[in-house]
Amino acid sequence: MDIFQSFVYINWWNILVTMCNTLITFLIIKKFLFGPVRRMLAAREQEVQAMYATAEKAQTEAESMRSEYTERLSKAKEEAAEIVGSATRRATVRSEEILKESSQQAAAMLKKAESTIEQERKKAMNELKDEVAGLSVMIASKVVERDIKEEDHERFIEEFIDKVG
Amino acid sequence: MNVEINGPKVLGYLFGNPNLPITETMRNAWIVMAVILFLCIFLTHRMQKIPKGKQALAEKAVVMIDNLVENTMGKGCQAFSPYIATLLMSSLFGSLATLFWMRPVTADLNTTLGWALITFALITFNKIKYNGIGGYLKGFLEPVFVMAPLNVLSEIATPVSMSFRHFGNMAGGLVISTLIMGALQVLSKAVLGFLPVPLLQIGLPGVLSLYFDCFTACMQAFIFSMLTMAYVGDARGSS
Repeated sequence: MDIFQSFVYINWWNILVTMCNTLITFLIIKKFLFGPVRRMLAAREQEVQAMYATAEKAQTEAESMRSEYTERLSKAKEEAAEIVGSATRRATVRSEEILKESSQQAAAMLKKAESTIEQERKKAMNELKDEVAGLSVMIASKVVERDIKEEDHERFIEEFIDKVG
Repeated sequence: MNVEINGPKVLGYLFGNPNLPITETMRNAWIVMAVILFLCIFLTHRMQKIPKGKQALAEKAVVMIDNLVENTMGKGCQAFSPYIATLLMSSLFGSLATLFWMRPVTADLNTTLGWALITFALITFNKIKYNGIGGYLKGFLEPVFVMAPLNVLSEIATPVSMSFRHFGNMAGGLVISTLIMGALQVLSKAVLGFLPVPLLQIGLPGVLSLYFDCFTACMQAFIFSMLTMAYVGDARGSS
């Protein structure tokens, strides 16, 4: 013969057992479900945050490196342009110098040649004069048949030539 | 024929003391607790950083309950999450025990009353904690002191209504299911008496069980937890 409790009843012993059961269930759920899961979630969140921090750091690093390289590149370009410019300038100056020098040299050579020519001409003229004088004296002496002192004749002739030439 | 609708069977007495009966409800509650313990350990067994299958389920459940508690009670109340989860799981599994040929744990007033009294203690504790004992007592005199008896009554009505609502729903389902089973057996005998089995018992009770056992079990578990959260959250928020 089974014994049943009544359908609706209140028994403090039963309520106490229920409360103890609930407390134990609470501890079970807290320890075996919420504990591990929350630890895992926290660990994962931490890991994700660490990953984000690393990524951000890497990105800032890359960014700074990039700007540095850009700066360096532009600096190098500037330098190259400067070098090329200065070389061009120097070349221009040098070429101008060379041109000037050469033209000066040419002018000096021309002058020298001219003076040499003049000298030669003068020399030739004098020689010619001497010749002419000698010839004249010879001719005159032959013509006049009078012996005149050579120096006098020469003087006369020179005078004459000077007047003529 | 007779249809008997009884309370929980008494399986024995602790220390042979007739005041300390071990009832069917208690045994079923312990089975439910064992199931919960197994589920918790199984779901969180060998957890990994990258969730898979059962672990994802456990995490989803925890996050869902945390969110539910936070949305209902406000921020910083996550310490209540395990208690809410306890109520949800105990109530749900305790009610669904009927699907496994066990008397539902929640079809015993002492079970639901026990939970409601814990909730009531939490409500009162939080009210005193956040308003002070003076503020708590003064709360009974509002809006005018004449209302004091009604306020006391409404305070007491909280656990009573919570426990009777849950108990009534489950016990009502139990009664109706039993009555219909009995009626169908009688009908079967009268109409199809030549068959050795009560054939008409197939069909209708199953459909009704979907509502009275499955739907009501989920519904009442949810309602009980929501009410607990709402009342305790209100007690904390009214400071």
